[in-house]
Amino acid sequence: MQIPQDLIETAALKLKSVQSEAEFFQLRAQYLGKKSFVVTAFSKLRDLQSDEKVNAAKELNLLKNNLTKLFEISLEDIEGQGDHKKLDVTLPADPFLVGSEHPITKISQKIINYFTPLNYQIFSGNEIETDFYNFEALNFPENHPARQMHDTFYLNSSSKSEYLLRTHTSNTQVHAMLDEDLPLYMLSPGRVFRCDSDTTHLPMFTQIEGLVVDEDVTFGDLKGVLIDFLEYFFNEKMEVRFRPSYFPFTEPSAEVDIKFGKQGWLEILGCGMVHPNVLNGCNIDTKKFRGFAFGMGVERLAMLYYGVTDIREFYSSNLDFLNQFPS
Amino acid sequence: MKIQYSYLKNFLNTNLSQKKLSDVFTQVGFECEIEGSLIEFDITPNRGDALSLRGLEREFNAHQLKKPSQKLQTSSLKLIQDKKIINHIDGSGCGNYHLMPVKGLKGIKNLDSKKRSFIESAGIPLINPLVDLGNYVMLEIGAPMHVFDLDKLSLPINVRFPQEKHNAVTVIGGDVKDVQSSSLTIQDQSGIQAIAGIIGSEASSVSSKTSSIAVEAAFFRPEVTVNQARKYGLATDASHRFERGVDPELQQTALERYLFLLDQIAEYDSVELYYSYSHKTKKKNVKLDVARFNKFSGLSLKASKAILILKNLGFKVHTRSEKNVTFNIPSHRFDISMEEDLYEELLRSYGYDNIPISKPKAGPIVNNKQNNALDNLRLGLVHSGFKELMHMPFVSRDSFHQLNSNNWKPAELHNPINENEPLLRGSLFRSLFAAVNSNVKKGYTSIKIFEAGNVFKKEKSGFNQSFHLSGMIYYHEPQQTWSQKELIYDFFSLKGEISKLLHTLGMQNIEFQKTSSLMPFNENALDIFIGKQKIAVIGEIELSVTEKLVKKQAYGFVIYPEKISLASINPKIVKTSKFPLSTRDINVVLDKSISYEEVERSISQGAIKHLVSFNLINTFEGKDIPKGSVSMTLRFTFQSNTKSLLESEINRSMQMTLNLLEKRLNAKIRS
Repeated sequence: MQIPQDLIETAALKLKSVQSEAEFFQLRAQYLGKKSFVVTAFSKLRDLQSDEKVNAAKELNLLKNNLTKLFEISLEDIEGQGDHKKLDVTLPADPFLVGSEHPITKISQKIINYFTPLNYQIFSGNEIETDFYNFEALNFPENHPARQMHDTFYLNSSSKSEYLLRTHTSNTQVHAMLDEDLPLYMLSPGRVFRCDSDTTHLPMFTQIEGLVVDEDVTFGDLKGVLIDFLEYFFNEKMEVRFRPSYFPFTEPSAEVDIKFGKQGWLEILGCGMVHPNVLNGCNIDTKKFRGFAFGMGVERLAMLYYGVTDIREFYSSNLDFLNQFPS
Repeated sequence: MKIQYSYLKNFLNTNLSQKKLSDVFTQVGFECEIEGSLIEFDITPNRGDALSLRGLEREFNAHQLKKPSQKLQTSSLKLIQDKKIINHIDGSGCGNYHLMPVKGLKGIKNLDSKKRSFIESAGIPLINPLVDLGNYVMLEIGAPMHVFDLDKLSLPINVRFPQEKHNAVTVIGGDVKDVQSSSLTIQDQSGIQAIAGIIGSEASSVSSKTSSIAVEAAFFRPEVTVNQARKYGLATDASHRFERGVDPELQQTALERYLFLLDQIAEYDSVELYYSYSHKTKKKNVKLDVARFNKFSGLSLKASKAILILKNLGFKVHTRSEKNVTFNIPSHRFDISMEEDLYEELLRSYGYDNIPISKPKAGPIVNNKQNNALDNLRLGLVHSGFKELMHMPFVSRDSFHQLNSNNWKPAELHNPINENEPLLRGSLFRSLFAAVNSNVKKGYTSIKIFEAGNVFKKEKSGFNQSFHLSGMIYYHEPQQTWSQKELIYDFFSLKGEISKLLHTLGMQNIEFQKTSSLMPFNENALDIFIGKQKIAVIGEIELSVTEKLVKKQAYGFVIYPEKISLASINPKIVKTSKFPLSTRDINVVLDKSISYEEVERSISQGAIKHLVSFNLINTFEGKDIPKGSVSMTLRFTFQSNTKSLLESEINRSMQMTLNLLEKRLNAKIRS
């Protein structure tokens, strides 16, 4: 019996150009239907001699299997393309939860994002600190009334040094001035604690302080970076004023106010030139180096930025409140 | 300090409106707030000299470039030293002590209504004209005074620290205070008559029957007065001033001013002024280098202008050289001691807002030592639907001990805000439990939350803080979809979620181990290691430690971001295979006591040829499986780097695997 050698190849070629299911079944009938070569060839087997019959049957079976497989695969492709269940795609999605960063994290990050391109290094520091780093090294002598500005939490401790919860993140600056190389450009973000609680004060809040110690830094440099930062933060031209104030670790010291809509002037951060006593205490040559420092309360900035009116909301675990902050 | 606007305006002899006047003071460093007819001055602790009308006037005149103010009218007296009146003063606490006995007072009238209303609006109650007058002079010129009933004193006076450790003193108002030996006191021959700079005793106080008085004006050093008033719960206007510093040369003037005003409201027979001083305060000189100042500020001020500004503030030129000017510091400016202090005065006068600004400068490039694991973990969690929360770190003893083992010693506050929460947290979970509870009460049924923060521990010397990132997953009821899809969150969902997070951040080689540190988890918990470093613990929450805040099965995790370093992950890339993967499944029956970890370990240690990976795709117990056994379907994936694997090669590897499982774990192959 003569079996055409190119039967599979031509079938495969024709299958490639099939456009619809109807065309497919027509083609399948042509190759595997009653009148097809394979089926008619099987019926002709009985006319053959027995040894020839065995060989031909083997070949025909292989051919039939290959053809059947070819058409099966092809049908899968065609069905896969066209046959689908129609969905009501307006039905709701599977349930999902939306995550988000805490607004204090977001605002802290926004502040840090301004300073990192200026190569300010980030130091987080210790929340439990000794009196030395929190006060003494920052020019708060013992029994100085300035210490009363900071209602301090003290820890029970049997050790010689007095431990407290830091009242500002300036402690981190002292560590950095003692440990790091100069010039030093740094930010110290973190939590601080004051033994004070009412509707506008919390016993814990978040501060970000900055410190630069370099040759020839001026009060004008301090003003420049802070005004630029505030305009970046609020994304608009800001009316900013600097007015004299007092912090033991800076001399001169200033408060910075911004004009904020109908609320008028609002105090937004504190700053100043690092007090020579602080630099000297950290073994910094004040003939060569000067410094400026600034600090801000993240909650306060977050309240202004988002229009939050009650500071306690930030620490309330209230998902209704937190759901309002996009990630 | 609250001051009546109308009174201040007259005193300053200005026409500025209340708002304008407040702005002027705010701009020079005395922050003001308007409260009705009053202006409240927030005077910083270094400027005790400004806590009076006279002090404000000095600043106002200097910055408005007005002439220095006229001297106030006084009745001058001769100073007398007499040990029978003032015997001894302790120099370590008292710089000078003045006492003015006024005898035979008659026809005492009230102060005029303007002064009375001025005193009252400053928040000082009216008591008795003789006392009110002392308070008035304090508000006017800044020297606190005390008025004794002279007939109730047994002179001479001694100013000293008590010898006894504890001394009961009934102070004005009737309270009995335990005056300690660290407090400077005014004593007469019968005992303590006043706590220096804070309050007088009831026994020697003036009354309506008083006909002779002794008016005290003294300089008590800030070092000995600070914190004393707080200690006795007696913060007074006088103590507020002494703590911040009082002009040590003002006392005589204050008494002479008192006398001048006393003449207007009473008659008397005689008056004398006694004094004693420990040592005279030295005149301070401070040098100014104008060129250095200009470098410091970014200005280019001329020396002549600097001198003018400082002169206006009461500083006198002492000497002048080409480079430096040395100034003599007036006695009321005890806050000035170094050159930078003069810089502040110059800048204040010049106006901070008038200082030109420069462009922001960048620091030198440094290797970033900051560990960025926290930021990345946080973002990963947020993308998996977690909400970040923040809480106060104060906890009760009970909840601390529920969540921390006995060898975790708590850090305890000496002065907690809430006595019931005196400890600093040793775990973040207490707040997370409370957060679950409050939000479930509100109606939330699906909650995924986390918090990042320090936990604290007391150590042998000092304290330790470590940074935790803890989270919880809680479904109050099973999640349902309209399509009846099963959405169950269980331990393995948690394991998957955390594994995905860690792998996504590049931590490929994490290892799970059964945990030894349970709280707050039950036994279904795992430690996660990278090498020998434990980086996290995950598990089912043990509901009994949640103080009934969490009522249904919840899952949690603690990650230690400080132990994770993402910066060091720098993979070596190898060439990938271009040959196909082949998979084979087998069923094995194992004793249930064998953990999957052992199966994994056995196979991994077997070094099976061409095996790329394997995983568990099904487990089955019950029909046809012997009791106490479990059937596992494992799927193995094979691949070669150099060729397409032959059936026979794959079969050989599979057979090796089966032998391994049979030999090591006594596994039976299930047909």
